[in-house]
Amino acid sequence: MLATLLKMADSPRTILHADMDAFYAAIEQRDRPELRGKPVIIGGSGPRQVVATASYEARAFGVHSAMPGVRAKQLCPHGIFVRPRPQVYEAVSQAVQSVFARYTDRIEPLSLDEAFLDVTGCEPLFGDGAAIAAMIRRDVFAAVQLTVSVGVASCKFVAKVASDVRKPDGLVVVPPGQERAFLAPLPVSRLWGIGAKTEPLLQARSLRTIGDVQARSHEQLVCDFGEHLGAHLFVLANGLDARPVESEREAKTLGHELTFEQDLVTAEQAHQVLLQLSEQVGRRLRQQDRSARVVKLKLRHPDFTTLLRQRTIEATQDDLVLYRTAVDLLRACWRGRPGIRLLGVTAAGLGAAAAAKQGSLFAVRDMRAQKVLAAMDAIRDRHGEGAVRRGGPGQQSTPWGPGV
Amino acid sequence: MKILCDRTQLQEAFGVVGSVVPAKTTKPILQNILLTAGDGSISLFATDLEMAAKVTIDAVKVHKPGSVLLPARECSALLRELSDPTVTLERIDQRCRLESGGGSFVLLGEDPEQFPEDTAIKSGKTVTIPSGRMLRMIQETAFAAAREDTRYAIHGVMFDMAAGCLRLVATDGRRLSLSYENVDSKTEFKAIVPLRALSTLGRAISDGSKEDLQIAVGDKQIEFRLGKVRLVCQLLDSRFPDYEGVVPKAADTTVELNRAMLESNLRKTAILCADDLRSVRFEVQDSLLRLMAENSTRGRADVTMDVTTKGAGGSINFNPDFILEALRVCDLDVVRLDMSDDSMPAKFTLGESFTYVVMPISGT
Repeated sequence: MLATLLKMADSPRTILHADMDAFYAAIEQRDRPELRGKPVIIGGSGPRQVVATASYEARAFGVHSAMPGVRAKQLCPHGIFVRPRPQVYEAVSQAVQSVFARYTDRIEPLSLDEAFLDVTGCEPLFGDGAAIAAMIRRDVFAAVQLTVSVGVASCKFVAKVASDVRKPDGLVVVPPGQERAFLAPLPVSRLWGIGAKTEPLLQARSLRTIGDVQARSHEQLVCDFGEHLGAHLFVLANGLDARPVESEREAKTLGHELTFEQDLVTAEQAHQVLLQLSEQVGRRLRQQDRSARVVKLKLRHPDFTTLLRQRTIEATQDDLVLYRTAVDLLRACWRGRPGIRLLGVTAAGLGAAAAAKQGSLFAVRDMRAQKVLAAMDAIRDRHGEGAVRRGGPGQQSTPWGPGV
Repeated sequence: MKILCDRTQLQEAFGVVGSVVPAKTTKPILQNILLTAGDGSISLFATDLEMAAKVTIDAVKVHKPGSVLLPARECSALLRELSDPTVTLERIDQRCRLESGGGSFVLLGEDPEQFPEDTAIKSGKTVTIPSGRMLRMIQETAFAAAREDTRYAIHGVMFDMAAGCLRLVATDGRRLSLSYENVDSKTEFKAIVPLRALSTLGRAISDGSKEDLQIAVGDKQIEFRLGKVRLVCQLLDSRFPDYEGVVPKAADTTVELNRAMLESNLRKTAILCADDLRSVRFEVQDSLLRLMAENSTRGRADVTMDVTTKGAGGSINFNPDFILEALRVCDLDVVRLDMSDDSMPAKFTLGESFTYVVMPISGT
C-alpha cells in the first residue's frame, strides 16, 4: 500500500473541498435581514432537539452543530432559534452544486453544504487549483449570495482541513509538497477519526500535534496503535490520503439515514421512517438511472449497538420494493425493544437500470406504481423533497427532527 | 420381525418414501424409514413432519411381524447395489440384518417407538382422477412455479377445483402455466401444494397409468392415494394471485407454428442472447416468423421460419428460456401463439387443456 501511495505523489492531484459557511444559518440571515449580525441557531431548544447549524455570532458563545438544543440555550440565552426549512436548503444546495458542475464532473457531495471536487486535468481550461477555487467562490456568491470556504490540496484530507482553517469566507491553498508542513502545527484532533475516545490514546504517547505524529515511523505507529489505527494515522498525518473523489455515479452504494430526537418504539413509527428513507433512495436511483440488487438496513439502539442487515433482491429502483425489503429486514431483527435511535436504508449492488425489462403478469398495479413514482419525482424536482408524501399513519407528528 | 421380500419392489418403494426423508434436520430420527411387517404385507413410512409418505407391499413373506427403523440413505444405496432378486430383513434388538445373495449387512436404526406416527387426513373434499393424467398436469405446470423469493406462492402449485374441473396453476409472476381436467365431482377447493410433494407423487405414478388417484383436501393438508401409496402433505399458506384475469381473451395476432421447429430455432437463437437479460425478438409478418437475438460482445442471430398467421403481425420480445421450458413438456405437433404488444401477456396453447401465458420483455 505504501508503495502505491508514494507513487501517487509523483502525479499530484488537485482536489478542492468546498464548505458553505454556516450554511443553514447564512440562508436564514440572507432571507431575513432582521437576523443579520445576530446569534441564529437552526434547530429547536427542546430537551432532545439538536442544533443543525449556528451562525458565527452564535458560535462565539460556544454553540456548535450537533449540540443538544438545551445546552445551546444555556450557552447563548439570547440566541434566536429558527425552525429549519429543509426544502429551501436543498434548493440552494442544488444551485451551489450546479456551480461546481461548471468546473468538473468529479464531485463528491458529503452533505447539502460541502463537497469534494477533483479538478485534476482541468488546469488548461480554467487555470490552476487556486484559480478554480477563486472562480467557484465568486460564482457561488453570485448565484446564491452566500460565502463558501475552499481548501485546495493534493488529497481529500488536506483539502478538507485547509477549507476549515480560515473559515468563514476563506481560501487556503496547500501546494504539492507542502502538505506535511501545513499539517504539522495542527492538533491531532484534526485527523479524521480521532475523537474523544482516541485522542487521549495519542496524548498518552505525547502526540499532541500532527507534527508529533509525522515524527514517528509507520512501524512505530503500527506497533503503538495496531495495524488499523497506526496505518491510518501515518497516512493522514503525512498527507498521503489516496482516496479518490467519488462522484455519485461511481459510488458503490447509495443510502439515507435518520437519527431521532426520541427513540422509536413502535413498528408504525419505524415503518413510516423506512418509507421516507426508501423514497429518498429510490428517487436518487431513478435520477441516476441505476437499480439496486441489495438492500441494507442499519439500525442503532439507544446504547449505540448497531445492527446491519442486508438482502439481495431482483434489481429494482422502486421505492415500495426497497421499503418492503427494509421492513422485512427490520422485522427479522427488531421486536419493539429496545428503542431505535437511528435507521438507515442503503441500496447496494448498483447497476445501470435496464432499458429492457421483463414484464410482470400481475403488473397493472406495478405499472400504476411506476406512474405514481414518476409523478412524485416530478413534483419533488420542482418543489423540493417535502412537497409530496405517500399517505400513511402519523404523517403530521413525526418523532424525528428535521434535517438531522 | 423377519421378512423375505422382492428386491425390486422394495427398491421402488424406497424410491418413493425415501424422497420424503429430509437431507438436513434437527431431528436425526427422521432420516430413517419405518418398516412395519404385518399380516402378509409390509409398509414403509417416512416423514419430515411437513409431509409423509407410506407405501404398502403385499407380496411378502412375513416370518415374524414387527417393526424396525432403517437408515434411509444407506438402505436405499444398498438396495440399488444388490443384484439378487430377493432380500431378507431381520430385526435383532435395535439392529436390522439385511441379507441378499451372499451379502450380509447390519444396519443400526433407532427405536421405532420414537418415530412420528402416521396421520390420516380426517375429513376432506375428495376428487378422483386417472393418475397418468395427473402426472401430465404436474409436468405441464410445476416448471413454472416460483423458485426464488417473489411475491407469489414459492415452490407451490395451485390446485383449483370448481365446476367439475380440476385446474393446476403455477406462476412466478412472469409466466403462468395452467393445465386442467374435467372430473366427475361437484366439490370445490383451492389448495397450494408444495412442489416437493408433487415430485414425490410423480415418482409413484408410472407414465400413462389409468389407475385412479384419489385426492382429499382438508383445512391444512392434502392427501393423495394411489393403490399402495399414500402421501399426506401440509398445504402452503401463501397468497396466490388472481390468475384468471391474466389469461388473454383476445389477441392482435395469432400464429400457428411447428413445435419441433420452433424449439430448435429458438435454441439456436438463444445462444446469442444478451448476458444480463436474455431476450429473443419474435417478429411476425405475413406467414413468416423471424427470431432475433443480439449479444453486444459475442454476435447476433437471425432465424426465419414459415408459420400460419392471422391478424396484424408485429414483434414482441420473450425470455427464450421461459418458452423452451414449456415446449419441453409439450407433445403437440403444432402449437399456437396469441400475441398483442409488449404490454400484454402472450398466450401459448400447448395442448388441448394446457395453456401457457408469458409476459413479454418491454422497452427494447
